[in-house]
Amino acid sequence: MIFPPGATALTDPDAVSETLYDAVIIGGGIAGAIIANQLSQAGQRVLILEAGKGEDMNVASYEDYLTNFYTAVSKDNQAPYPVNPNAAMPRSTDVRRITPGQPDTSPYLVQNGPYATDFTYTRVLGGTTMHWEAKTPRMLPEDFDTASRYGHGLDWPFGYDDLEPYYQEAEREIGVSADVEDQTYLGLGYPPGYVFPMRGLPLSYLDQMVARGVDGTEVDLDGQPVTLKVRPWPQGRNGIPNPDYDGGHGYTPVGAVSTHQVEEGGRCQGNNNCVPLCPVQAKYHAGKTLAKAVGNGVHLLTQAVAYRVHTNPVSGRVTHVEFRAYRDSSSAEYATGTARGRIFVLAANAIENARLMLASDLQSASGLVGRNLMDHAYLLNWALLPEVAGTGRGTNSTGGITDLRGGPFRGRQAGFAIDIHNDGWGWATGSPVSDLLHIVDAQNKFGPDLRRSLIDQVSRQLLLAFMIDVPPNPGNRVTVDPAYRDQLGNMRPVISYSISDYTMEGAAFARRLAKRLFARLGAEDCTAYSPADYGYVSYGGQDYVIRGGNHLAGTHVMGTTPANSVVDAALRSWDHQNLYLVGGGAMPTIGTSNITLTIAALCFKSAGHMIERLRAEQAPVVLSGSNQ
Amino acid sequence: MTESKITTREELLAYLEAGLRLEHATIPPYLTALYSLHPGTNSPAWHVLRVVAVEEMLHLSLAANVMNAVGGTPDLTRPDFVPAYPACLPDGETDFTVDLQPFSQDALATFLKIERPAQAPSEQARLVERDRPRRLMLAASPTDPGMQFYSIGEFYEEIIRGLQHLDEKYKAEGRELFTGDPERQVSAEYFYSGGGTPVCVTDLSSALAALSLIAGQGEGKGGGIYDNGGELAHYYRFQQLQLGRFYQKGDEPGQPTGPKLEVDWTAVYPVLKNARLSDYPEDSELARAARAFNSTYRDFLAFLTRAFSGQPALLLDAVPQMFRLRDDMERLIKNPVPGRPGVHAAPTFELADSFAPGGPDERSGA
Repeated sequence: MIFPPGATALTDPDAVSETLYDAVIIGGGIAGAIIANQLSQAGQRVLILEAGKGEDMNVASYEDYLTNFYTAVSKDNQAPYPVNPNAAMPRSTDVRRITPGQPDTSPYLVQNGPYATDFTYTRVLGGTTMHWEAKTPRMLPEDFDTASRYGHGLDWPFGYDDLEPYYQEAEREIGVSADVEDQTYLGLGYPPGYVFPMRGLPLSYLDQMVARGVDGTEVDLDGQPVTLKVRPWPQGRNGIPNPDYDGGHGYTPVGAVSTHQVEEGGRCQGNNNCVPLCPVQAKYHAGKTLAKAVGNGVHLLTQAVAYRVHTNPVSGRVTHVEFRAYRDSSSAEYATGTARGRIFVLAANAIENARLMLASDLQSASGLVGRNLMDHAYLLNWALLPEVAGTGRGTNSTGGITDLRGGPFRGRQAGFAIDIHNDGWGWATGSPVSDLLHIVDAQNKFGPDLRRSLIDQVSRQLLLAFMIDVPPNPGNRVTVDPAYRDQLGNMRPVISYSISDYTMEGAAFARRLAKRLFARLGAEDCTAYSPADYGYVSYGGQDYVIRGGNHLAGTHVMGTTPANSVVDAALRSWDHQNLYLVGGGAMPTIGTSNITLTIAALCFKSAGHMIERLRAEQAPVVLSGSNQ
Repeated sequence: MTESKITTREELLAYLEAGLRLEHATIPPYLTALYSLHPGTNSPAWHVLRVVAVEEMLHLSLAANVMNAVGGTPDLTRPDFVPAYPACLPDGETDFTVDLQPFSQDALATFLKIERPAQAPSEQARLVERDRPRRLMLAASPTDPGMQFYSIGEFYEEIIRGLQHLDEKYKAEGRELFTGDPERQVSAEYFYSGGGTPVCVTDLSSALAALSLIAGQGEGKGGGIYDNGGELAHYYRFQQLQLGRFYQKGDEPGQPTGPKLEVDWTAVYPVLKNARLSDYPEDSELARAARAFNSTYRDFLAFLTRAFSGQPALLLDAVPQMFRLRDDMERLIKNPVPGRPGVHAAPTFELADSFAPGGPDERSGA
């Protein structure tokens, strides 16, 4: 995929300030990229403001990110990205346990607690798709009305069937590899003859070993027996194109993005560091869509951090976005610029969208901006299998267990999906570095003996990550406080967050189930939750550690009225008629789906609405009495 | 129509066999140059070498498809399938040698020659007499000993003429030239090259499409720098490294206007040129590693032979095997040769010697 050379230098803060765009988009991640691409295809003049550093996307700069990651001591999901105080990002390594009444104000995210979350998002061109795992499950039909159905969460203003055509568009854009027969469960439906763009990626050897022990396990929930089965995940990474796609036209995988022709990434090679970065760009990232958008003439201004959204006090319409453009990430120097457009689209993720709205004093009539912050709660369970299982091969997660994502039990406890992690215990324990240190320090091994021990240890590791539903809770929220600002003077997000009993009831069940599955597999349960851990949660007299999933949502929920929501079903603000708030923030619930596919589907839906609106406004005015 | 030198199916198969050998013969030099680059450096050169090597593998698969389509059986395990290096390729009136060597100005000049478009000035000049051992000579006439084609392009031109001639002849006699089992074709499902997709060959037009993809990816189409699929031809990909700038759409040959690129000629492991097992001390770790590589490579060619003989799905498993080949090559290339300061080891691709005692098990000691 060619990224047009010079695209990031086509405009500058001064030129932008002199231009009236049809649409001004804040954020160059997947949401902003899809909307920019759709609008520009429809002939609209579009500007993207991106806070992060950014030059033209090419293979060499991508490889610089890779080198940063390879050479970093901490292999966390932000390891490839240089520190940038002008567009700072949360990092799991910064998180500390919170003492009640003493917010942790040292990292970019100010945390009030009581629970300290380690969620992150990436502020570079391409956004968080520059570190995502690229698992792309659709939400279940029942996820769209959990309030009516189960008495938890909020109902969406539309259902699965309304979103289904947009899921198809999202699957095309991201390039999803999956087989319909594997992805038909718990009511997930597809139009007749639908196939995913590419065939499903195979289950790993580890998945198959787990399946031998797990498949057929009966779970009794509220008198309803459920039979478990290991199932492949749909993935936003390139596999074998399905010749039946698109009515027999097939699908051409999109590989690496660069300013010159480069052939790479057309197929996943099974490298094991999908998070943060696929070495060959077989995994989708928003650069693949951005390249198309800038090819359509979209202006892209990087190193421009939105500072304030200005509105007309009478009409409520947004007049312009004031931004601060910096040259050097280590310097606090900036120039103020102004972006004007007919419509404005905030696509900066659930935290940053809410932060910008609140920093602009744009609390909606509903009072819901910043509230209902959601992120999946992950409960990690790890064990040592009795035999070598090939851990460390394949993408991060090829298979999982999805049978407990839905069901009547959700009236009582949260549903969850289970990931089988091909990358071993890394997320839970810091393996393989922690294994190496243990074998050297505690077992005094060296040479071939050390090598053998490390292989024996790592290739038997099994990590089951339970991704547990977190329903919206108005008390979980993003706020701002003028006392906490970043280097450019932008107010930082302040997070207040707790884990509900509903979620913890699901976690407690998950823990019991994990023990049972480990016993069936003959695996030695090595899970340990320390009260000293920043993610520690006590529930029902038991210890747990909950990790964040970076699936940020809910801070500007959509709904049916200005009283129950911030945006309408087209993601348009109720209070500001030419403002759209897109991304996870618009989602009223997150169910048990990684949210990016749904974000993308919502963006396609919303972009259609924006185009209609813009075209209607641009249509020639017919004066009454004149029929010429 | 110009007269074809290929008059029988047997002669056509001999030509296609020579084509397979020719397509493969460029892979060891490209891989040696590719893995001689210091990791994390020379990204532009790395990508060009990689894509060209991968597309030579596509060409190998395409040649196998044509061969299968006309009822032949590709065999990559014949003793002379892998040439001895330096091997000789034609370059018009003269020929030139292709060495296994580190990435360098010399290597790049050779690669440009390999991929250069060259058409014989006259019908008579299409075959040139050479005084070379056949084992070293590529693009030689399989039916006319001592003669080599003027260029690789002319060699393929001969196959195209032969196919057209035989197809016409067979049809006139009420026979079918393309009798191969379609199940043996390598399709896009089993091979992904990054640029260009395999052509399943079932008749004359698909056979010609497969052969023109081979020629177009190397040299470009109709004097342009891109092939039919809009992909930059190998010759011009390499030329970018000489000119220090990428081509982009609309450029004229020799005048790229895309982004600048840099080549660091020093960020290269100084590997032995045309390394042989005899370069490594007897019973040394390097000797064992070099033999282990040759053995793995021989097994890989046998594996490909099976894939091209009715089991194309095996090509999916070839990917992890190629990672292993890469690791085995890097193990040699990253190590200096004892007693020879400033010289690093390299794989030798001497497959006849890979039958040495020990075989593949020696990898654990490498």
